[in-house]
Amino acid sequence: MVSPFKVFPFLIYSFLVGSLITGCVSYRVIKAVEGRSVPDIFEEFRVGTTTLQEALEALGAPDQVAELEGKDVLIYRRSLLANSGISFGIPLTDIWGSSFDFSAYGELVRYDLVLLSFTPDGILSDIASEKGSRYPYLKTLLSDKKGN
Amino acid sequence: MKRFREPLFVLLLVFFLQSCAGWAKTKDYHPFDASGLDKLIPGKSTAAQVTEILGAPSEIVKLSNGNAYIYRRSLSKGTGLWLLIVSFGNYDEHYDQIVIFLDKKNIMTHFAVTLDAHKATYGLPF
Repeated sequence: MVSPFKVFPFLIYSFLVGSLITGCVSYRVIKAVEGRSVPDIFEEFRVGTTTLQEALEALGAPDQVAELEGKDVLIYRRSLLANSGISFGIPLTDIWGSSFDFSAYGELVRYDLVLLSFTPDGILSDIASEKGSRYPYLKTLLSDKKGN
Repeated sequence: MKRFREPLFVLLLVFFLQSCAGWAKTKDYHPFDASGLDKLIPGKSTAAQVTEILGAPSEIVKLSNGNAYIYRRSLSKGTGLWLLIVSFGNYDEHYDQIVIFLDKKNIMTHFAVTLDAHKATYGLPF
């Protein structure tokens, strides 16, 4: 009987190699987005003149509402999670007693935030914003700067 | 070129034989109907009328000059793709939200609507 290794050598070897490296080498990329992007129109808002009504018409329903020191705070938020990892290993435990393994993983959550504070009369008293999505994934993840 | 045809076919075969894909959908459902907002008039409608039209709110928040009723539901869609040694995952979640502002006399002063849940999509992370 002719060996299948002689008839379809590339097919057999490719299949074996493909089967063996599965689980030894892996790379993954995961992205999760929660919420909508906040329109930049809030940059046109003016403290002391913009009203609650105008803000709600421009930005829609806030993701969070709270009272803070006698003022009403509206928070618009979007979160972006990015995760990637690479793993390389040779599982030789059964035949050698030890195995070689290397893996590296990283996860970064960035936030786009707009915080609007209103007086009880509904007049804008403070604006704070942060656009976390402008920070690049790898550069931010690998940065050594404190707070970054 | 012909000599590469068989190896390429084999490579693709190996690739797809050990691959799989998955989709998932999650709904955090609350049956409020945003079209009922047409019946509510700021400065006139009461908290009782709000709950009669929209039902019980998902959350009530105390504010400086009254309360806010928050109606929220979400739709999330997840996609996973595993190709031999590379895997991709994507998760997208969006919300439908209505926020009703009420004064201390329980009269509606403002409201805001964002209907965004339908924008959740399946896809890859790039």
